[in-house]
Amino acid sequence: MFEVFKKEIKELLRDKKTLLFIIALPLLIFPLIFGVLGYFMVQAQVEADQEVHKYAIIARQDIKEFSDKVFYHKNFNLVEAEYTVRDELIQAVKDEDIDVGIYTTGAVAGSSGHDAPIEIEILFNNASRINYISEKLTEIFSEYKHVEQLKKLSIYGIANGKDKELILDPVKLIETDTANARESIGEKLGMLLPYLLIPLVLTGATYPAIDLGAGEKERGTLETLLLTPITRTQIVIGKFLTIFSASIATSLFTVASLGLWIVIAKSIFSAETIIDVIAIIGAYDLFLILLLLLPLACIFSSVVLAISIYSRTFKEAQNYLGPLSIIVFVPLAISMMPNMELTLKTSLIPIVNISLAIQELLKGTVDYNFVYTILLSTVFIGVTTLLFCVHWFKKESVLFR
Amino acid sequence: MIEVVGLKKKFKLTKDHKKNKLDKTDPREDKDYFHSVRNVSFHCNKGEVLGLLGPNGAGKTTTLRMISTALTPDEGSISIAGHDIIKKPLYGRKSIGFLSGSTGLYGRLTVKENIEYFAKLHGMKKAAITSRCEELFSLLDMHSFIDKRADNLSTGMKQKANIARAVVHQPAVVVLDEPTTGLDIMTTQTVITFIKGLKAQGTPVIFSTHHLDEVALLCDRVAVINEGTSCFDGTVADFKQVGKSEELNQAFMNILTEKRDV
Repeated sequence: MFEVFKKEIKELLRDKKTLLFIIALPLLIFPLIFGVLGYFMVQAQVEADQEVHKYAIIARQDIKEFSDKVFYHKNFNLVEAEYTVRDELIQAVKDEDIDVGIYTTGAVAGSSGHDAPIEIEILFNNASRINYISEKLTEIFSEYKHVEQLKKLSIYGIANGKDKELILDPVKLIETDTANARESIGEKLGMLLPYLLIPLVLTGATYPAIDLGAGEKERGTLETLLLTPITRTQIVIGKFLTIFSASIATSLFTVASLGLWIVIAKSIFSAETIIDVIAIIGAYDLFLILLLLLPLACIFSSVVLAISIYSRTFKEAQNYLGPLSIIVFVPLAISMMPNMELTLKTSLIPIVNISLAIQELLKGTVDYNFVYTILLSTVFIGVTTLLFCVHWFKKESVLFR
Repeated sequence: MIEVVGLKKKFKLTKDHKKNKLDKTDPREDKDYFHSVRNVSFHCNKGEVLGLLGPNGAGKTTTLRMISTALTPDEGSISIAGHDIIKKPLYGRKSIGFLSGSTGLYGRLTVKENIEYFAKLHGMKKAAITSRCEELFSLLDMHSFIDKRADNLSTGMKQKANIARAVVHQPAVVVLDEPTTGLDIMTTQTVITFIKGLKAQGTPVIFSTHHLDEVALLCDRVAVINEGTSCFDGTVADFKQVGKSEELNQAFMNILTEKRDV
């Protein structure tokens, strides 16, 4: 068994594709992807912020102050075309002659004798991904509204500035966050880390499993191996240990990569709080996070190896294993739902339990009894899937399909 | 000595096969199973070479896979020097050196690493591995490519490496499934010389082939399989007599035709 394991590791380390998945992907490609994505998002935001929108307005005199504020705003440019009805504005937006149309029916007398509110309608296409038209106009509108409110209060005889502010803002809500830095940042990191770690445990197992199962079948080396005087249990356990090691190595490299890039980020952006939080998570909790990944890697390794052994070819195995990576995201998404927390029930649901435990371990709010329950239940599932994999490997109908 | 008696092996038909490929004229197919091997018997004594003959799809490879212990027969027995290898498959694997078109090498390992790996799996000690490897590399003229990765070898080099892999543990019986298929004349000659060498050492060799000139050159005995059933098992002289021809090709054709007519 140890000879099989040693040989599989040697071969795996000579495979450039495997090295890419296990080492390069977590170490370099992820930060690269996040960096490139971040760069383009910032660029898009800057461009959106500086973009000058063409606009047209109907009934300008009824909302003079508002239309003046829009006119003098750096992001808006008035189009000198005559629009008289609302439909013309909508058509102009559709034809992309203007980016936004502003329309109002003006002041209308209400039934009580007082003026009814002036309705200002903004017409724009909200389908584009980054669109700040509404945000910018809402900002202008809020300033305009405040001025109008003060004017109305003066009309009703409230002249004192302090009284006016009191009427407009009679009650204030003050929020005090009692969460400490670890809880706050642990919450945010907890939303990221399970999404990164759990799929990587699967990815780290998948490629070696395809190579060691279906790949060996296709190349004829599996039959050669079956003719040697070692038991099929020893062969499959040797293969399982290789896949398991690759899976764990991938997640360890990811955590190491995350740590490395946080240190780099600290030197660039002085992100000291994150470093401090990582420092106060503590060695035991970090150890528990890694410990939780072991039985999970055992489950994934056994399942992907069983599927790979069943497949006749590399391609067939890829077809079977492709959807598995999507399936893993379902329990992950469930664990991220609001109000999901670690209970006895959730601690028994595979993947959901580990994701929730990682979140709570990062926040420092975990009930350790649940962590032990998760470890026990996941080890049980891991051993069961491994036994199934061993049994599966002994079947002629699977090996010689 | 290796003795094969009354081997039978059937495979469950897949739904797809039943739907699209069921051949009602093939006596080996029934509703649920394909009876690949229905009754095969032969034996090969010490120092003999047995040629296993039969048309494509006759059941030769399935028979050889059962001898190699990769597949377990449904019925029948296989014994090597009196040991039932169906009951003791690990003993069988230690005793047999098997080579077929479906037994490959590890592409990312060198030839030397491949052969050493299989020697280790056979429980050989380091010193024994070194001397045996050296012996095989010389016998099969492999020194020029032992440090090359198996992925980078020509077909002939691969076959030599595969033969070395199959016999590294000095097996009691050697089973070769079409060992010269697709090889050039030079490599074919090396393989033939190697089989002669095994024979001279007293190792029984079973090899399946479609080249009857190789049978004439190497074999003491011949076994013929057709549609999963033994048609003939005897010496080359008996083969010519039963086949009513001094030409092996003609004798083979006659045996097959006679069996079909019966």
